[in-house]
Amino acid sequence: MSTQEARERLELLQGTLDLLILRTLIFGSQHGQGIARAIQQTSDEELLVEHGALYPALQRLEERGWISAKWGTSSNNRKARFYSLTAAGRKQLVKETAKWKRVAAAIGRILDPAKED
Amino acid sequence: MFRRKRKTSDFSAEIEAHIQHESERLLEQGLSEEEARAAACRSFGNVMQAEERFYESGRWLRWDHLLQDLRFGLRMLARNPGFTVTVVLTLALSIGANTAIFSIVNALLLKDLPYMQPQRMGTIYARITGSQSFDERRTIDGEQWELLRDNVPSLISAVSAMRTSGVNLRAGSHVQYLHAGRISAHYFDVLTLHPNVGRNFSEDEDRPHGPKTAILSYALWRTAFDGNPNVLGQSMLLKGEPYTIIGVLPVSGTTPLNADVYIALQASRDGEGKGTNFAAITRLREGVTWQQANAEINRAWGQRAQRFATSNPGAQVTYYSVPLKKGETDTLQPQVLALMLAAGCILLIACANLAGLTLVRMLRRTAEIATRLAVGASSWQIQRQLWIENLLLALLGATAGVGVGFLALRGLLLLLPEHFLPVTNVPLDGRVLAFTLFLSLFTSVLFGMLPALITRKVNLRSSIASRAVIGAGSVRLRQGLIAGEVALTAVLLAAAGLLIRTLIHLETMPPGFNPNGVITAKASLDDVRYQDSASFRKLLNESLATMREIPGVQNVAVGLSLPYERALIDGGIVLSSGQEAGQQIAADEVYVTPTYFDTLQIPVLAGRTFTDADGPDAQQVVVVNQTFARKFLQGANPAGRYLNKDMLIVGVVADTVLSSASRLNAGSAPLTKEETIYLPAAQVVDGKFLSILHTWFQPSWIVRTAGPVEGLTAQMQRALASADPNLPFSGFYNMKDLMAATLATPRIEVALLVAMASLALLLSAVGIFALVANMVAQRTREIGIRMALGSTIQKAMIHIGRSGVGAAALGLVLGLILSAGALRAMRSVLYGVDVYDVPTILVVVLTLSVVTLLATTVPALRVARIDPAKTLREE
Repeated sequence: MSTQEARERLELLQGTLDLLILRTLIFGSQHGQGIARAIQQTSDEELLVEHGALYPALQRLEERGWISAKWGTSSNNRKARFYSLTAAGRKQLVKETAKWKRVAAAIGRILDPAKED
Repeated sequence: MFRRKRKTSDFSAEIEAHIQHESERLLEQGLSEEEARAAACRSFGNVMQAEERFYESGRWLRWDHLLQDLRFGLRMLARNPGFTVTVVLTLALSIGANTAIFSIVNALLLKDLPYMQPQRMGTIYARITGSQSFDERRTIDGEQWELLRDNVPSLISAVSAMRTSGVNLRAGSHVQYLHAGRISAHYFDVLTLHPNVGRNFSEDEDRPHGPKTAILSYALWRTAFDGNPNVLGQSMLLKGEPYTIIGVLPVSGTTPLNADVYIALQASRDGEGKGTNFAAITRLREGVTWQQANAEINRAWGQRAQRFATSNPGAQVTYYSVPLKKGETDTLQPQVLALMLAAGCILLIACANLAGLTLVRMLRRTAEIATRLAVGASSWQIQRQLWIENLLLALLGATAGVGVGFLALRGLLLLLPEHFLPVTNVPLDGRVLAFTLFLSLFTSVLFGMLPALITRKVNLRSSIASRAVIGAGSVRLRQGLIAGEVALTAVLLAAAGLLIRTLIHLETMPPGFNPNGVITAKASLDDVRYQDSASFRKLLNESLATMREIPGVQNVAVGLSLPYERALIDGGIVLSSGQEAGQQIAADEVYVTPTYFDTLQIPVLAGRTFTDADGPDAQQVVVVNQTFARKFLQGANPAGRYLNKDMLIVGVVADTVLSSASRLNAGSAPLTKEETIYLPAAQVVDGKFLSILHTWFQPSWIVRTAGPVEGLTAQMQRALASADPNLPFSGFYNMKDLMAATLATPRIEVALLVAMASLALLLSAVGIFALVANMVAQRTREIGIRMALGSTIQKAMIHIGRSGVGAAALGLVLGLILSAGALRAMRSVLYGVDVYDVPTILVVVLTLSVVTLLATTVPALRVARIDPAKTLREE
């Protein structure tokens, strides 16, 4: 719940956080704070990742076996828990991405039907 | 599976690392250290909440709660040992009773027969329709057997003799009295039994006058032949003739006959095949249906059905197959189910008690529950806690119940006479345990439902403010429960009472002879040597002469059957004088030596009995009993009339009681009086007739003594040996033993029902006791005030005790009304007593009244200990 931000950020849609985490991890293992930063940066600071919600999400993904985690040392020499994508996670990412694209396209058609012609 | 994969501390460390990373980043952006940390924390949000969410995300949370509830439940139960022990004991007794009875139901009615594809095994029933319609398992005669064997290709059919027969075995120096099962060729094929060593009977060996062969049971092979593997082909003397051993059954090879040795039946339409003396069993062949088989049976026996229709105008008979399991247990089924019903009543009574107890406990915990609700427990959490406690109690009770059930079952099986149940063992198997588990869950729901419903209505404000108050509503409810259980108890007591009265009636029936001071012993004369009537007479004369010499012996005799036993039925007696001359009738038939009536002291009512002059060459004479004379000879002095044209009736004797197992008059009491004719043993001269008689019946030597005689049985055996050294007695019995054997079934029924009725009575007493004791505890204050205002202790006691007495009285009335309807179903097992038996009803009322008064007075006495001053000061 970040407060008094200069510009209004977009709240994440339900269920998209999982997809974004998986997507972020495709470039290699990363710790929680890094994942949150990466999502914010790659979305040009448009998307807001609520940090409090991030960790339960990571926990959930780990329990499903889509990501795995182990403690390591970060670039600035701090201990951190690093997450990486598993084979199952990769498959899930492909599936979720395809689904998301279909949903996005469908919503696009509804919101902007003129484009269809 | 019970441990979390990740510890909470690990999760906290990760969050800490996150906040440090974030504050470092902010630090780099130029914020001060404190500002950076604060901003990082802010952006993370509520750490505690995140941690909590992490914790709750675990799938084990539910399990955690469950464990917590379980621990709490156990603590609560341990803190109330009195309550816990009462509940567990109640459950142990009631579930134990149900477990024991259900194991018998399971063994008798649910478990498959121990043969392959038991669903393909059957037996044949007849359905009679007409003025009197009924279905019955039928024994068949030789003609039916041949038609079944040869004209019903859908079935593998086999027959055996209706029951085993006593025979003498002589192998080397070993002499033994055995039970022989006489079976047809494919009997073991129907049972899918194959000898361990050797083979089954061939069809050739099953033809009349075929080779004499025998198959040993495993037990006999071990005991009489020392498990000798070379026993095949050996010869042994059975019934005085050499039999070749052709097989030994496997150790698990049980048959419905349960015999020691099996020999071929060699059935024909002649001799015993003239009567319906064979029991059929069948196995459906592959690829055919029972419908096809039934059609074939009715076609094969069509002529018989027509003969039946001709001789019984208006009636029809059809035949059909019934699963063998059902055929074997049909007669026991109603008794077993009645017991199960009684056990179910016990369970209901126990549940009513437990519901009352838990209700009180719940009301006492109103404050606790209200407090928990006040600090934020949800109603669901409270309910879950209560149900878990109930479940814990039920499971504890079930565990104890299995133990009690096991012991009860062992005791019960010891009580049963040998081979009473047509199954070899009654195990506590998975199905019984599953039943017990289900029962415990069911009881926990039943007794937990009421209190759980009540607690849903706990009002936070009033409950915390006031001390626990027992509403009048809950007392009414408990009284209702007590009334219900007393009603069920009354029904059980009345049922037990009626059965006791029946048993007393049967045991005290005038026997028609003097049973005191009589010892009897059976020997098998199913022996080729005694098919010759001269040697048969010689054996009787010589053995009796020697036995009479034993010091202390007053009288000796031999009879084909005894009172209390079943007798031979002769269906071919022709009345030869009077209005009904030429009519063919059936009656029991007993051959006796002349001293039979004197030895048993059976009164002679008219004419004379037999003398030594009634020999093989003299005029054929018979003595009839009173029932015979009344039924067939119009009661006039029958001496001088004839039966079967040339048999002269010389006397009439009193009736003696007989076992109704001979089924002359179907549906009669276990002990009955039947029309009987007596023949002099010396005039039974037809060797073939002797042979059939002795195949089915083993005659008894009867000895009457004035007082106890030292070593009497050994001397009797010696006396018999002096006439025939190879003739063993099967055992020695006095008349009480014979009566006990005949009355075994009613005795067991009485014992079981009395046990259950007592249990019900005990439970009801506990219920009433608990109600009144609780009332005293709850209303101490009120009583104190009453007494302070001048009420006496007696008045206070009556005031309190009224609740218990009122409930019990209502229950008693309900119970009597219920009995009037329910016990009518017992009519078929009651003899000498009516369903509406005044003494029984009085005893039930008296018993319940005394027990109620006791259960009310004892706790009400606590009223005397109430000190008004003290209770008032406590306010």
